[in-house]
Amino acid sequence: MAHLLADGLRFRHQDTMIHRLDPRIKLLISIALFSVALLSSNLSQLAVAFGAIIVPAALARSLRRLGKVMSVSLTFAVFIFIINLVFGYGFLKSATLTLRFMAIVASTSLFFVTTSPDELEYVMRWFRLPRDFVFAFVTAVRFVPVLMLDLTQIIDAQKSRGLELDRGGPVKRLRNLIPVLIPLIVNALVRSGELAEAMESRGYGAVKKPTSLYTLRLASRDYAALSMTVAAWASILLSFGVLAQT
Amino acid sequence: MVALDDVSLEVDKGEVLAIVGGNGAGKTTLLKHLNGLLKPTSGSVKVFGKETKEQSVAELSRKIGLVFQNSDHQLFSETAESEVLFGLKNFGFSEADAVRRAGEVFSYFGLDSLRQRAPLTLSGGEKKRLCIAAVMAWNPEVLVLDEPTVGQDYLSKGRILDTIRQLVAAEKTVLVVSHDLEFLWPLDARTVVMMGGKVVADGDSQTVFSDSPLLEGAGLKQPQLVTISKLFGRSPSFRDVSDAANWLSRR
Amino acid sequence: MVGAADEILRFEDLSFKYMGLDLPTLQNVNLSMRKGEIAVLAGASGSGKTTLLRCINGLIPHIYPGEYSGRVVVDGLVAQDTPTYELAKKIGFLFQNPENQIFMFTVERDIAFGLENLGVERSEIARRVDESLKLLSIEDLRNRSPSELSDGQKQRVAIAGALAMGPELLVLDEPTSLLDPRAATDVVALVKELNAELGLSVLLVEHRLELVAPIADQLIIMSGGRIWKSGPPVEVLASEGIHEVGLSAPTVVELQRQLRALGRWPGKIDLSVDAFYSEAKETWR
Repeated sequence: MAHLLADGLRFRHQDTMIHRLDPRIKLLISIALFSVALLSSNLSQLAVAFGAIIVPAALARSLRRLGKVMSVSLTFAVFIFIINLVFGYGFLKSATLTLRFMAIVASTSLFFVTTSPDELEYVMRWFRLPRDFVFAFVTAVRFVPVLMLDLTQIIDAQKSRGLELDRGGPVKRLRNLIPVLIPLIVNALVRSGELAEAMESRGYGAVKKPTSLYTLRLASRDYAALSMTVAAWASILLSFGVLAQT
Repeated sequence: MVALDDVSLEVDKGEVLAIVGGNGAGKTTLLKHLNGLLKPTSGSVKVFGKETKEQSVAELSRKIGLVFQNSDHQLFSETAESEVLFGLKNFGFSEADAVRRAGEVFSYFGLDSLRQRAPLTLSGGEKKRLCIAAVMAWNPEVLVLDEPTVGQDYLSKGRILDTIRQLVAAEKTVLVVSHDLEFLWPLDARTVVMMGGKVVADGDSQTVFSDSPLLEGAGLKQPQLVTISKLFGRSPSFRDVSDAANWLSRR
Repeated sequence: MVGAADEILRFEDLSFKYMGLDLPTLQNVNLSMRKGEIAVLAGASGSGKTTLLRCINGLIPHIYPGEYSGRVVVDGLVAQDTPTYELAKKIGFLFQNPENQIFMFTVERDIAFGLENLGVERSEIARRVDESLKLLSIEDLRNRSPSELSDGQKQRVAIAGALAMGPELLVLDEPTSLLDPRAATDVVALVKELNAELGLSVLLVEHRLELVAPIADQLIIMSGGRIWKSGPPVEVLASEGIHEVGLSAPTVVELQRQLRALGRWPGKIDLSVDAFYSEAKETWR
């Protein structure tokens, strides 16, 4: 299940009109969708919310990817549904709350699915987040596939020594993870030490305000998307006023 | 993209086999089929006459010990001794039996001084030999070494070579995967050359290592002794520098 | 400005003991490298090579504290008194595993990384990135993600990133150790080319002496934290006792050394098999 989540949220390069947008606009779209999802308090409003999410998702050719993420959140969704029922909220209300949760998940995932880690970095820098923090984030994401590869190699090596990860009760299974986690963590620590040395050798910290090869600049399509997003947002919120009674 | 393409290979008991090729030739992929980490998409892999598809990795590893390239992917225990005990316990040896075998294997490989050391503090060469010892502790019939010399210095390579010879003398079946032909030359092993997922040569080391175009095509470097022997028209090629010096000094 | 004008690197009686260790890792190291030279540093594991390298780019003593005596001078700068980022402008440092020195998601941005850190102006960064890509023949990798690249390619990217910063000295720590023979030969040829084309001084730490001895102007062998021998490669490789320091000369050199000991090799010792053969034909005709 963790696989699906990691896979679903991972950015894959695609050339759609959504992907080509400035990441700040993509963020804005997600925020708009998120707020709409948050404000949905009945089924018809939710229908509008989902509809609003599906449009950019379809334009970004990411419906299937989004579907994967949704299937993972399904367990949580069911959990929320049951909890609400238990607390006496009634079937309809519980269903509404559950669907709202899923709409929120979908709207935020859309951003991550359409935005490369590269672009994420630019957005973070634009928000003037501390450089060290942004760098740490970027490097972490960059090394995820590397560590995943380490993990498969470690598992292979330990399985070859007779380690059986899929046998035994829950306690045994947890214990069996030790020969996998320790090498993984140690290797990650050694890597980070080497990374630190490499950073020094590339002048990290030489200057308080490092320059940047690329900067974000809004193009005409970004302004177009911006106006459309704002217009759609406004209309949806107005329609919510109408749909509030249903 | 196919990682292995129509590979047919038979290895007899007690044989020493070298599998050579550049990075990406498919050597490691091939090895992983031996203990079931990978199962073939088509064709069959039989170990001791039985299909690997019908056996678990643990079952197969009991008979075929794989030592991977990166020692740091395996070592995790507090002491070298507990590292060796790990595999033994996994394969169901009793406490008493396991401790006895661990002791034997430390002596056999001359690693007694390392017994209580923390594996993570050992040198590269020591780690490698510890990994080999840890696998031999449960006494598999076959030992497979994946690039044992990568990152090792000269002294360490010598010790690894001695270890292999020790095992060959004990009639184990040994497979060594390497791109380091200088290292393999003294072993005089049957050699299989792989390229792009295929086996492109299979013969004795003299024939294979003398085939310069073959080696070059496979991205491998001919051992200098072979090149020198060929230049002086000497066949079979010298296995040892001293032999070469003596022979040449008499010309 | 300290030191001789044509010297790129000098170690003056350097000793170093890591904090927390009982014994010094480096003892009275004296070394000198001329500008434009390719020097190879070799030694068994534990001989102090990595520690020596860390003294060059300032990681010792700035990141790794300990007892430091003596001096390291890099192109006029005293390493001990210079911050690491200043030294980074002079020294391009390549670590053993290229994976752990590529930070960014695309090759292009990684090459730019060092320049961004130094606060270089954007158009200049772009120019230098283009130049580095071209120099290392990896223009087609510009927008690729580093995790998709082969080891040899990753290494080129790392070298490009170091070169973009315009160093005087390139230091490579065992660049071929994870590579297969073909990729190893390529990287050695690349280093030779960079030295020839750019006049870049190069310090190479390497085990596989048969690969690098042919391109070296100077071979330095370390043992137990000291310099055991240094000089022209052939001379050093043909020395007695090289096995005792945990190294092995290329077979062809060892052969000539043994022939010399048997009194059958009066001439000079060659590094290449072909040269040896030609000379043998001459000598024994």
